[in-house]
Order: sequence, then structure tokens, then C-alpha cells
Amino acid sequence: MIALNNSKTWKLSSYLIALVLIVPVLVMLVGGVSASTQLFSHLWQTVLPSYLENTLLLAFWVVLLALIFGVFSAAIITQTNIIFKKQLRWLLLLPLAMPAYLVAYLYTDLFDYAGPVQRSLRAWFDWKSPSDYWFFDIRTLPGAALMLALVLFPYIYMLTRGAFEQQDQNLIRASRLLGLTAKQSFFKVALPLARPAIAVAASLVLMETLADFATVQYFSVNTLTTAIYDTWLGYGDLGAANALASVLMLLVLFVVLAEQKSRAGLRHQSARPNLNRELIKLSLSQQIFASIFCWALVIFGFLLPLTLLIVMAVEYSDVAQLSVLMSTGINSLKISVIAATVAVLIALSLGLYQRLHSDKYRQLPLQISGFGYAVPGTVLAMAMLSTLGPLDHWLNDAVEFFGFTPPGLILSGSLFAIIFALVVRFSAIANGTIISGIKQIPQSLDYAPASLGVNLKGSLTKVHLPILTPAILVAWLLVFVESMKELPAVLLLRPFNFETLSSQIYQLISDEMLEQGALGAILIVLFGLLPIVLLNKSKEKI
Amino acid sequence: MTVLLTIQQLSVKLQDKVVLSALDLTLNEGDILGLVGASGCGKTTLLNAIAGFNKPSEGQIAIDGQLLSDGSQCVPAEKRQVGMIFQDYALFPHLTVKENIAFGIAKLSKIEQVAQIDHLLTILKLTDLSDSYIHQLSGGQQQRVAIARALAPKPKLLLLDEPFSNIDARLRNELMVEIRGLLKQFKTTAIFVTHNKDEVFTFADKMAVMAQGKLLQFDAPSVICQYPNSYQVADFLQLGSWLPCQMNATNAENLLGKLELETEHVEQASLTHLLVKPSQLLLNDKINDNNVANAKVAYISVTEQGYHYYLSSIEVSDADKKLAFNKLSLYSDIALSLNQKVNLSIKPHKFLFFS
Repeated sequence: MIALNNSKTWKLSSYLIALVLIVPVLVMLVGGVSASTQLFSHLWQTVLPSYLENTLLLAFWVVLLALIFGVFSAAIITQTNIIFKKQLRWLLLLPLAMPAYLVAYLYTDLFDYAGPVQRSLRAWFDWKSPSDYWFFDIRTLPGAALMLALVLFPYIYMLTRGAFEQQDQNLIRASRLLGLTAKQSFFKVALPLARPAIAVAASLVLMETLADFATVQYFSVNTLTTAIYDTWLGYGDLGAANALASVLMLLVLFVVLAEQKSRAGLRHQSARPNLNRELIKLSLSQQIFASIFCWALVIFGFLLPLTLLIVMAVEYSDVAQLSVLMSTGINSLKISVIAATVAVLIALSLGLYQRLHSDKYRQLPLQISGFGYAVPGTVLAMAMLSTLGPLDHWLNDAVEFFGFTPPGLILSGSLFAIIFALVVRFSAIANGTIISGIKQIPQSLDYAPASLGVNLKGSLTKVHLPILTPAILVAWLLVFVESMKELPAVLLLRPFNFETLSSQIYQLISDEMLEQGALGAILIVLFGLLPIVLLNKSKEKI
Repeated sequence: MTVLLTIQQLSVKLQDKVVLSALDLTLNEGDILGLVGASGCGKTTLLNAIAGFNKPSEGQIAIDGQLLSDGSQCVPAEKRQVGMIFQDYALFPHLTVKENIAFGIAKLSKIEQVAQIDHLLTILKLTDLSDSYIHQLSGGQQQRVAIARALAPKPKLLLLDEPFSNIDARLRNELMVEIRGLLKQFKTTAIFVTHNKDEVFTFADKMAVMAQGKLLQFDAPSVICQYPNSYQVADFLQLGSWLPCQMNATNAENLLGKLELETEHVEQASLTHLLVKPSQLLLNDKINDNNVANAKVAYISVTEQGYHYYLSSIEVSDADKKLAFNKLSLYSDIALSLNQKVNLSIKPHKFLFFS
């Protein structure tokens, strides 16, 4: 069938939107790549090798730890008769709501030399100084890796669990009939079949790790993200910051390509996933070990940090803190509401364009607009600065040329830059949700209104948008929550004296005063729980 | 009878592939046309071209004298007054039965809308379900809503895309009779697409057989059955089985004997196929000097008309290999066993040969 619309305005605006979303990153990449070789060789001779080494080492450790945590917990939940399975099934998702930098701060507080754990140990054993005993140092690269893995492993848990549950049970049954025990069939059939899903999840963890800024900054582990931040804010060197951001962007692109390649093999889905699976029966010692493993992940990844935050909030909250919370909260709300609304409108416009327009390449604007999710917030911030800064200058020159007072940095120095960055970064989330909503509308519903004498506008307002309402709400909520949590882009782009919840908490963490912002931190965690609840709900439906 | 739909030399290309080519068709007001053909023959594309969902590359479509498309211009679907019942019904899940029916008549006054909806609800026995949502209805009820919704704007032409394919086989006949009655009651001109030829005989007044984007034959179903105009039509409608024949000037030679032709065959020594209906075959299971075995049993099943056999030719010389047959269909009360040799002959009748 032909598409129902061939409006030129719609086509032009769709491509224009996509272009506007991608241009800043292109400008930055061009700036980065065309940076003088002198600059690169200087960076290479000084800091770049160690930044790169730290970034790659961190990525390696986080992925390794997250794989151990995620794959084992998924295997235990789906393949064994562990007790409290029903509760653990969703509890293991919760650490995803916990920002890694919060966990990092709370555990440093807990396990540092001056923290309660070491203090109690010293009191018990009558140790006087650090030389009397050995205690692990959490503020190191492996420490940072552990913190990140603790909150990122649920990606691997979730996708691997899904892969195990969607596997064709007849394959497992066939392997059993061919003489394999339940355990052997898990290692020889189920695990290899889940490999593509595990690879996809690992690449997600890898991307999040490469994008992390606050945790490594707090632990003073110099990676590419911290380098970009320092180079720009510390030395004001846009060229060098761009060059570093381009290197990071290339790393991320490499991960995205690897992920796409592994996704191509992700087709071990089943028409018979719901057959009763035979569970591996754990012995008492195995049961204890498995329970400790899963509960430790839930406790250290979520329950303990949340409890620590609640204790802090109860102990230190006061009226002054509440009023700060109110003002930063309102700032966060403001940018998140606008970003979510804009992202959803763009996703709707481009999603419906893909569905209904006659353009041969109608999927292109949507695909382009979704690329931003792979771009780390720090890189995106550099992209905004490299693009909007010169634009502001041109604008001011132009205004001055016509004899008016220059308006100042109205693009790069205002909320516009933050909101733009948030929209670019999270458009992919809105796109994904809206597109999956659109895909659920049978194609015949596109045509039915016309057969009843109703035009495209009527069809959109009376059929498509009402049917898409749940998807629109979910997309809005997801982008809203992600925008509330976003830190690096906000830190680099916020106007002077403008604080959001996350930037405020980061500042307090940097100043070792999280107690002052415990309530806000709890709020961020609670917001972070929303998409997990939604995700879990949609997974349960499958 | 007034002509309602005229299609002339219609061609449609989809992704550079010709799906319909130079198709002509006219349909009188009030007629129901059944469009049959194998999957991928272009039936649905023709329906979409009439509805305005496919743009023809050449040719004209006119309804009630109004030109809808002529290769260069194309009246949009919503302005054609052509209703459609989709294969999956395409009912709006967020609207109730009543709201679905009202969807296409928003331009009428409220009073007219209510009257029209009530009328349709009553006739289609949907009154009790008027406030239900679509997911609360059975397949048959959903189909009735789809019909009510399509009829509400009083379309000049109603298109039905495989409307019975989602209906339980036991209910199908009943529904076909009911819907045909409704369409006749509303005096609606309709075209319905199906890949099941049997539905046409119950539901349609006219039949069109399509293959590879072309209209092969268009007539009353009974006429097409009696006088198929091509091998493809007879084969698709399974009007009989095929016996290869060597055509000579006055007779047609085949492995069951020589058939004398009424008129002289001009194109001599050509190979054709004779359409043989089961009732035109004569079976003799007693093999003797007078009755030489010329076929053997290749398949047996039992039906309400007795045993059903497929008969194939027995070993033949290389020269006769092109005349070998393998699936002559025959009904008989005589019990035969697999591979049993029999004597077959063809009763004299008006022979239909196709090349």
C-alpha cells in the first residue's frame, strides 16, 4: 500500500529536526579531528595514554564484574529453585535506580579510614594507626569499577534473564533426552544460546561506564570524561577538550558497532517459552551460597545505600535544606519537563512520519535523531559548546551590526543548551517507546479512517494519538526521569548559579557534605525507580 | 442495470514490479463481485487501487461516472465514497461499538447520526453491545461492527478484503448468507476478495478470476464453472482433472482411447489437455481381452459420494510418455485397492480442450 501522506512541509521539517539534533556532534567531531596535530601529539605525550589506559582498564573491570554479578544472578533466578525467587526476581533490578556516584560516596563514607567500619575494627582490635592493619582502599580504580558494576549489573541480569526465559524449552528438553543433566544442559545449551543477549547487555554496561563522570571524578581516577571536564573547565581549552571528546566518541562508536553486530545474532527466541522448565535443585550449601550472592547484590547495590541515605536524611534534614531542595528541585523539574515534552513531540512527529509518509527514506530522520543515546553527556556538552558558542558570537555580531545591544550568550549560556543536550541524549528513549507503540497499531487502522471519509488530520487526532496515549505517557516519563538524573551535561552547560538536583548533590558529594542533600538524593533514587517499575511491568507481560 | 464501477486498462506497479497490468472491469449497481485468484495474483492490490490506497501507474477508475484516477491524478481515499471492510476489521480499539460506527458520519447532524447508528445497531443485532469495546466482542460480532461502520457513511461501493478468513469454518456459511442478505437489503454494490473459490458461489452474483495481475474471466459463477475460458481458470477452480491429448485433424488421441472431434481441428499434431470431470469417466474394473487395463489406482479416500480415487496411467512406451496422466479424479461405489489396474473410458460429451 502507499503511504497516506506526501506533505513536503512534513518531510522538510522531519529532516531539519534530525539535522539539528546531529549537527552539534558533527561540529565537535570535525573540530576534534581537525585539531592541530601539535595538540594531539602534545596530548599523546602528556596525559592521553594514561587517560586512555584508565578508561579501558575501568571498562574492562566494570564489564567483568557486572558479567559475574548479572549472568550468575540471572542463572540462579531462572534455572534454580532458590528460595524467595519471586522477590529476588524484581529486587535484583533495583540497583539500576542508584546513581553510581551516590554509592561511591556512601561506601567511601562507610569504609574509609575515618568511617564507622574501620573505627569499630580499630576499637575492637585496639589498632592505633593505618600501619597496624590492612584494609582495602575503596578510592581506587578497582573500587570505582566495583561501585559502577554494583549499579550497572542489572542491565546484564535483566537481558540475560529475559534470554533464559524466552529460550525454547524443547531445546533444553532435547538436550536432557540426549543424556545431559540439568546443570550440563544449562552450560552446554542455555548459556551459549543466551550469548547474544549477554553481549548486548555487556555493551550497554560498557557505554554507561565510558559515559560515567561523577564516580571516577570523586575517586580521582583520571579517565577521558574527567579529562574533558578538567580541560574545559580547568584550562578553558576547547580544542583539546574537543579532541578528547572525539577520542571518547570513537570508543563509544566502536562499542555501538560491536553491539549491533552481536544484536544481529539475537534470534534465539521461542514460540514455546512458557513450557514448564525443570529447575536445578540446589543442595542446602548451594542454596545458602546462591542466596548470599543474590541478597548481597540487592543489599549492597540498593538497600544499604538507600538506608544510609534515609538515616542521613532523618539526622540532618532541616528547613534550610528543604528550601534549597525546593529551588533545585524546581530547576530540575523545569528542564526535565521541557526536555521530555520536546523529545516526545519530536519522537511522535518522526515516528508518524516513518509510518505514514511516502518518502522512500522515511525511516532516516528517526534513525538519525536516536543516535544521541550513545553519546556520553560530557561529549554532548562539548558538542553543544562547540556549536552554540560560535552561533552566539555570530548572533551578537549580527545584532550589533544592526545597531542593537548584543543579547549575550542566549544559546550557550542559557537553559537552551542544557535542554538541547538532554533532548539529543534522550530522544532515542522516546523514539523507542513511541515506535513500539506505533508498531502495535495494525496497518489497517492507518487506512480505515480514509475508507470512512476521514482525512489524515482526523485520523491522527481521532485514531493514532488516542491509541498512542499510553506510549506517549511512558516515553515522556522515561525521558523526564533520565533528564532528572543526568549529571555531566548539566554540570558543563548550566548557567552560572543554576543548580539542579543532580548537580547540587554532586557538588555536595565533592565537598563531602552529602548529608546536606540526602533528601534530594533519595528523590533522585525514587525517580530512578519509576522506569524500573515500568520496565519490569512490560517484561512481565511478555 | 446502471454501471457503477468502470475500470479501464488499469496497471499498478509496486516497488517497480508490475502487480496489475491492463485490467478492464465493469460492475453494475447492486451487484456483488467475488474476486478470486491464487495468493499474490493482485486481488488485494486491485482493491487498494479502487479504494485509493494504491496509485495506478496507468488506466482509469471511475465510480458512478466520476473519474477517481487516471494515472496522473488520484482522488484521495477519503473523498471516494468507497467503504472497506479489512481482513482484520481494523476496528478502533479505543472506541466503543457505537463510536466506531459513528466515526465516518461525524459530518451529519447529531440527530441524523443517532438515527443512522440505531438503525444499523438494530439491523446488525448489536444494540446490546453498543457500549462495549472491541476486545469484549467475539469474532463474528466484530465483523458485524466492521460492516455497520463501513455501511454508516452509505458508500457507493463496499470493498471486503477476505472478510471470512478469520471466521470459524462452522460459522462461515451462516455469516455469508447473513451478510449477503444485508448487502442486498442496503442495495450495496460490493467487491469481495477471497482465495477460497467456494465462498464466491454463496456470496457473489459475479465472479472474476485473476492470475498474475490479469483478469482471466469475468461472469456469473455458474457460467464460469460451465465454460471456463482457460486452463488457468479451470485449474484454479478445480473444475476437473487433466488428460493430455495429442490433437489430430478429426480426433484427440490419449491413453484412454481416441475421442472423435465434432469440428475439425486446425492446428494438427499439437499437445493439449482435456478437462475431465469425475462424472465424465466410466470405470470398468473387470479386466479381460475386451477391457484392457489402461489406468491404475494411485490414491484412495472415502467421501459422501463414495470412494474417491486418483488414477494414473500404467507404464507406457517412450513415445507415449507425453500422454501419461497421474491424477484423474473419479468417484465410485466399487471398492478398489491401491495399484489395482482398471479400464477407464470417457463418456461422450462436449469436450473442453486447453493448451
